[in-house]
Amino acid sequence: MKAEYVNAFYKATQDVFNLMLDLDVEKGELEVIEGMISGKNANVLLGVTGDLKGSILFSFTDDMTLEMVKIMSGMEMKTIDNFVSSALGEVANIIGGNALTNLTTYNYICDIVPPQIIVGEYKSISMANKRALMIPLMTDIGDFNINIFLAEN
Amino acid sequence: MTRFGVINYMHNKIIVKKVGINMMWKDKYKVGVQLIDEQHEELFKRLSNFIQIVQNDIPWEEKLDNVKETMGFMQQYVVFHFNDEEEYMEEINYPDVKIHKDVHADFKAGIDEYVKLFGEGGFTEEKIQEFSAKLMTWLIMHVGKMDQKVGEYVKKGGQA
Repeated sequence: MKAEYVNAFYKATQDVFNLMLDLDVEKGELEVIEGMISGKNANVLLGVTGDLKGSILFSFTDDMTLEMVKIMSGMEMKTIDNFVSSALGEVANIIGGNALTNLTTYNYICDIVPPQIIVGEYKSISMANKRALMIPLMTDIGDFNINIFLAEN
Repeated sequence: MTRFGVINYMHNKIIVKKVGINMMWKDKYKVGVQLIDEQHEELFKRLSNFIQIVQNDIPWEEKLDNVKETMGFMQQYVVFHFNDEEEYMEEINYPDVKIHKDVHADFKAGIDEYVKLFGEGGFTEEKIQEFSAKLMTWLIMHVGKMDQKVGEYVKKGGQA
């Protein structure tokens, strides 16, 4: 796992959060995760194809998800319904798209598969025993993380 | 106001708070060109109204007519605004007009896909929620990023 991947996703997250949510994002200590990862309640999975292959999993708490959608819509959101989960999926999708643009500066040409949104309590997600890098991220409305499973093709 | 379906809501004795107020708009979305800013504000207002009606706690069957009406009202304005904005970009010889037009075309194609789905009987609450959420994020991103570049060009003294 190269630093470029992490930077590409971290930078894209910062830019998108700043633009869409008026939030600053700070990075915590990276962690290497083997095989299974614990998620929070609202998760978005993006597939990556091309020079890099794998998945990116964004993991948010319910409260943070509702607050994010409130910031964008200006409306109070009570539950994670299809409106909220679709908005979350799109934010992650936009971050993914921006990250791919950032990756082209390191000469990686990739594409992303439309997001899958996984909402609900669960203990862990298996990523076929692959090694992942988890970036913990902090904002004023809560903490979330991005799990990166990528390998060069 | 009647076109937002507010009157119908009143008849149902349901009070829709802040209908007509632009809850989505932020001053940072301004690009500094009056025509574009006014239209963006109107577009956000229509989308905001659409989302408020979609997200209201009224049973789906009861709000269906309002959802359709506000959706049409918003959709119409997307096309109207894109045309005006494209004309403006051409007038000022904006160098990235082609890329910008392509993005507008993709945006419209994305809307058309949903309209087609809705026309084929897929007009469900879930799909409308998905559609309105996507429009919201696309629009914020487009106005917040791509359209800002038009404003920057004008500010730098691009031919006006």
